[in-house]
Amino acid sequence: MAGPARESHRWKWLLVSPALFVLLLAASGPLVIVLIYSFLSPGNMGGVSWDPSTEAWFRVFWSRDIFEPELVTLNDSHLAIFWRTIWLSFQTTVICAVLGFPTAWFIATRSARTRMVWLFLITIPFWTNLLIRTFAIQEMIRSNGTINTALLWLGVIDEPLEMMFTEFAVLLGMAYVFLPLMVLPLYAAMEKLDFRLVEAGYDLYASRRQVLWHVILPLVKPGFIAGSILVFIPSIGAYVTPRVLGGGKTMMLGNLIALQFGQGRNWPLGAALAMVLLVIVVVALIFYLRVTGSEERARNGRA
Amino acid sequence: MTEQTRHEIEITGVGKVFGQGETAFHALRNINLTIRTGEFFTLLGPSGCGKTTLLRVIAGFEQPTTGSLSINGQSVVGLAPNVRTVNTVFQNYALFPHMSVAENIGFGLKMLGRPRAEVAATTDEMLRLVRMESMAHRKPAELSGGQQQRVALARALAPRPRVLLLDEPLSALDLKLRKDMQSELKRLQIETGITFVFVTHDQEEALTMSDRLAVMNAGQILQLGSPHEIYNAPSERFVADFIGETNFLNLKVTARDGSGATVGLPGGATAQARLAEGISPAPGDTVPAVIRPEQVQLCPPGEGDMDGTVTGAVFFGTDTHVHLTLSDGQPFTVRRQNSADQPEPANGTPFGLRLTPGALQILRG
Ligand SMILES: Nc1ncnc2c1ncn2[C@@H]1O[C@H](COP(=O)(O)OP(=O)(O)OP(=O)(O)O)[C@@H](O)[C@H]1O
Ligand SMILES: [Mg+2]
Repeated sequence: MAGPARESHRWKWLLVSPALFVLLLAASGPLVIVLIYSFLSPGNMGGVSWDPSTEAWFRVFWSRDIFEPELVTLNDSHLAIFWRTIWLSFQTTVICAVLGFPTAWFIATRSARTRMVWLFLITIPFWTNLLIRTFAIQEMIRSNGTINTALLWLGVIDEPLEMMFTEFAVLLGMAYVFLPLMVLPLYAAMEKLDFRLVEAGYDLYASRRQVLWHVILPLVKPGFIAGSILVFIPSIGAYVTPRVLGGGKTMMLGNLIALQFGQGRNWPLGAALAMVLLVIVVVALIFYLRVTGSEERARNGRA
Repeated sequence: MTEQTRHEIEITGVGKVFGQGETAFHALRNINLTIRTGEFFTLLGPSGCGKTTLLRVIAGFEQPTTGSLSINGQSVVGLAPNVRTVNTVFQNYALFPHMSVAENIGFGLKMLGRPRAEVAATTDEMLRLVRMESMAHRKPAELSGGQQQRVALARALAPRPRVLLLDEPLSALDLKLRKDMQSELKRLQIETGITFVFVTHDQEEALTMSDRLAVMNAGQILQLGSPHEIYNAPSERFVADFIGETNFLNLKVTARDGSGATVGLPGGATAQARLAEGISPAPGDTVPAVIRPEQVQLCPPGEGDMDGTVTGAVFFGTDTHVHLTLSDGQPFTVRRQNSADQPEPANGTPFGLRLTPGALQILRG
């Protein structure tokens, strides 16, 4: 009895071993390196010198006065960037959810054949390079870009709206880029939705809004959870969009990290910031799964 | 409208067409039907005849293409399902998977905005009614088919609808459970006094449970009546064939009187026959007639109304179906009550066939 079972178990391990190997090498390896770097001192021309130090971690949160190193203050600019990163990512997720829900609903309620066409259209942006798409948005919103030109011509505004290098610009760019990542899992959840349950809701005196709230939303929640994770995590680490559309004023964590490895020539600080990014993602995930998990477990009884 | 037989649902000339032009499909054709308050009414018919469509029209999920529909004397054409005092027990139950049994049952009342205490009290009452008190906190996925069915019933009954629509609620259950649920349904209907409109394609279920039933085929109602009327006085071949076993004979009318006719039987004897509603055959016409196998007795040859020769016999426990050929070659089946000392009739044995008075019914068409 035990023999064949254990045998097949060994086989399974053999089957996943290439994946495990890659994961170990490609994920854990760099992570360990980054972690080690964060406890070293910056080298003169970038890189690190092998003097153990917690200075980088200290600098993540605090800053020293240049002339009086004993004068320690909270590092406001870093904290502002952390906060902006979390807040913009959260807003991006909410915007994607709000826009993604009707989009996914629209697709899921088409006939089977046209659905494929709509899904195809949703994935088209993935075909183009992210940078190009972001520059396209820049082209639309800059001072003499498409939107301002059109509004000026129509006489709606007298002088161009300043949209570039604002949080709005970053938000617009990220919502645009990540929307499909919300729509696709939502669509997958809606496609499985039993529309007879919707009818049952109407039959039991629920209004349209009540059916949406009490029947449809709870049933497509797995799609919301998957979509939110897929949008939130890359938003937290976004680099290209805030770089192109946000400029230096609305920097996000990804840009700050890049800065330390580039012009800043402070690799340990960059490494420590990268670890902070990881911690933010993990904490957000745990929090999110906690909040949604309890009901989720109950639903899983269905399977 | 007298108090005894108030009309709960009145359906007048309802037709339903799906699609347009070449692909148009008439799912319902000129349905006229009144369902009385507090009765157990059954729609019976083969698959695809439009039973579900008719229920969906009553519930408000489909709008009739033609005709009108009123519930409790008020026209409901154009009204959405959530404002009709009609609840449905869906064929697949359609229980909300993310809610517990109790939440499912309380859903309707909650949507109606009833106070919490009332919702809880009614939910408890319904749980007791369907004997599910111990499972109030389970999820539908943790219930057996029969239990899910009871929850679906309780959920639909909780808001005290005027009418309960049941779409083949028992079709997914095994035979034993099905029998239990049949009597349970009947008990609930009597206890609550709610009008039940029940859909089935099982003729036995229809006969045992209904106060009245309508036999449907191809989007039309062929006959409407009590189980007794439908069984004993079918108006056309489809109805007679769909309900129970039966013998069809082509007979010649020899004389007419007010409510019936005299027909010539194979072998030369004559017998009185009842007429289906709305027909008036003339003497000399050949008409289709029907006679139930249990309304004929076997007797010694020459002593009955007809003669036949045994071609086979099938033993069913309580009775035996004896297949014969009549003197003019038409096949005929007699159902004979079994007794221990009675030998099985051998092939080729001649018998006389004696008809029970009133057994013969002349059909339409
Ligand atoms: N939405 C629709 N579009 C087109 N045709 C439909 C639609 N709904 C039902 N029909 C057709 O109408 C006819 C009646 O369907 P209905 O579901 O009422 O049958 P039924 O009597 O309930 O059958 P069953 O016993 O199999 O449930 C069927 O031929 C079906 O194909
Ligand atoms: Mg049906």
